[in-house]
Amino acid sequence: MSLATAPRNRRRRGLAAGASLAAAALVLTACSDDGAGSDEGAGEDDPIVIGISLPLTGDFSEPGKGVQRGYEAWAQFLNEDGGLLGRQVELKILDDQSNADRVVQDYEALIAQDQVDLVFGPFSTRLVVPSARVAEEYGMLFVEPAGAAAEVFEQGFENLFYAAPAVADDHYNYLADYILAMPDGERPETVAVASMDDPFAQGTAYGLRDKLADGGLEIVVDEVYPPNTTDFAPIAAKIDDSDADMVIGGTQYQDAVNLIVSLQQLDYQPEMAAFSTAPTNPEFASAIGDKTEGILSPTGYTETASYPSNVEFVERYTELHGNPPGEDEANAYTTGQVVAAAVEAVGCAEQGECQQQLVDWLHSNEVDTVVGPLSWDETGKPQGAHLIQQYVDGEIQIVLPEDAMEAELVFPKPAW
Amino acid sequence: MTGTLLFQSLVLGVLLGGLYALLAAGLTLYFGVMRVVMIAHSAFLILAAYLAWYFHEQTGIDPLLSLVVTVPLFFAVGVGMQRLLITRLRPVTLTMMSVLLTFAVALFIEGMIGFVWSGTQRRIQLPYSGDSIEFFGAQIAVVKLVAFGLAALSLGLLYLLLKHSRFGQALRATIQHREAAQLVGIRTDRVAGYGFGIGLATAAIGGTALSLDATIYPSLHWHWIGPLMAIIVVGGLGSIPGAALAAMVLGIGQSLLQVPLGTTWAQTIFYVALFATLMLRPQGFFGGRLAQRF
Repeated sequence: MSLATAPRNRRRRGLAAGASLAAAALVLTACSDDGAGSDEGAGEDDPIVIGISLPLTGDFSEPGKGVQRGYEAWAQFLNEDGGLLGRQVELKILDDQSNADRVVQDYEALIAQDQVDLVFGPFSTRLVVPSARVAEEYGMLFVEPAGAAAEVFEQGFENLFYAAPAVADDHYNYLADYILAMPDGERPETVAVASMDDPFAQGTAYGLRDKLADGGLEIVVDEVYPPNTTDFAPIAAKIDDSDADMVIGGTQYQDAVNLIVSLQQLDYQPEMAAFSTAPTNPEFASAIGDKTEGILSPTGYTETASYPSNVEFVERYTELHGNPPGEDEANAYTTGQVVAAAVEAVGCAEQGECQQQLVDWLHSNEVDTVVGPLSWDETGKPQGAHLIQQYVDGEIQIVLPEDAMEAELVFPKPAW
Repeated sequence: MTGTLLFQSLVLGVLLGGLYALLAAGLTLYFGVMRVVMIAHSAFLILAAYLAWYFHEQTGIDPLLSLVVTVPLFFAVGVGMQRLLITRLRPVTLTMMSVLLTFAVALFIEGMIGFVWSGTQRRIQLPYSGDSIEFFGAQIAVVKLVAFGLAALSLGLLYLLLKHSRFGQALRATIQHREAAQLVGIRTDRVAGYGFGIGLATAAIGGTALSLDATIYPSLHWHWIGPLMAIIVVGGLGSIPGAALAAMVLGIGQSLLQVPLGTTWAQTIFYVALFATLMLRPQGFFGGRLAQRF
């Protein structure tokens, strides 16, 4: 018996020794992480890895790629300038195919398996809400470039920050004020609204619609269409039939183009036409045959803004890509700036307690970005309104508010 | 709601139905000759639209002229696809496996379009893109009229080909009863290949027609395949006149329903019609004895 047990004991002892060695090694690594910090010692050469999922294919691929360009430009410029906390940053970008299930999987994988140090948000409310939930579960700071609908801020997220000047409902505030200030008999009286069944698009359009309705304007058409709609002729026919003075489109991109062309085909001529998102896209003018004159659009960003970091951003971006950045690129870049400001101030970029410190810092500080100084309320909602742009003389220019004005607002709008 | 709006919607419905009819004709043809469910049909449709866009972009010539290249090209691809891919499937599980195979082809095409031309949304701008013709108070967009004319012309040609040529007779015989067709000396393999090619050629024409008046992007084809599948089931699988009729009825129905119900609910007409057909008359409402045998 004793002969039989002896080797087993020895083996067990060996096992125990191995285990304790392993444990010691673990403790040691843990200590070195805590002690030396990630910006010294072993961590110094390691890049800060930032996990991102973006809609690079599918419904949101157009803006998704814009956001990608913005993130990549941010990382490149930052690395050229010496990185973050002295470390290089590395982006790990996955394609969620504009699919809300995929985006959840992507962030789960990035945070839990790939152990990224930081995450940035995806594009658009439909993807931001599910992914913010994942980030919240893991206690990660979640700054996002494009989730502006009211519902984003009603979920009770504590780690979320929207890196733009205003939420969807407030985009058109300057335009609403302008219309309501016009004298009776001159201002538009009837309004037709068509919006994609999408929280962001509806947020922008309904923010304006509700303010105008409260101001006494009559809403004569109020259409909602699913995101996969490609034939806009029937909606255009309804708007044309109502002969509304003003048309509001809660649009993304292809829907705005298709709707405007359909309206043109019916020879519908409103006095005022406002569409979200699409008109600021560089492809927009040529897509609708340059019949853009007078089209209004809110924008959270313009390349001509004189904020110091913006002047630099536009210059470097233009040098890199040959064309100035658009709103998607700028919002992505802003996201980077916001996170970078927090990381520099707190002095850490890793999972764990650090994330909460970053969150706390952003809640109590203002950050200078390419879209101006940003600050947030406790739900992560930014405190501002969007500029209103209009196509005047074939160029999209700021018309509201007056102190940022590049051109006079044209009303009634010329025929398209 | 006014009479003008109803009439305008009716006109739009007819124009839309025409395009649906052409596309559904191709889809039902594959099923007829080969018992193949061709998920990639609408992917080829978008591919043709991209080729038309690219052709216009490069040469500045009217995209309709791209048909000279795309129709023969798609015909050849169709014959090749049938001879090289579809015939490799085992006859017993052909219908089911063809779903998988053509699904893969659709994904491949979507991926390649994205790879070559990126996911950027494209639109052809023509001098007459925004023009329209007044028709008893309704406005008919010139581009939609051209698309409709193209669809009507191709459907007419397809009808003549099937009804009044030896090849058409052989093709219809193959659709009706493959073994019997073989017994009377028809080379059904070759006929099926050509039938597949013709189906794909309709996608080339439909895609070009579509490109005149649509913003295109690689994943657009998923929005088309659902309604088209519903149309060919309602029309009776394998029946070309049935598909054309069902396409017209559903196209007009969708357009008219949009007036009272809005866009979201109007889209469901295809699926409501699909379920109703499967419950009440699984062989389809217009002809099509074929489906009874499945």
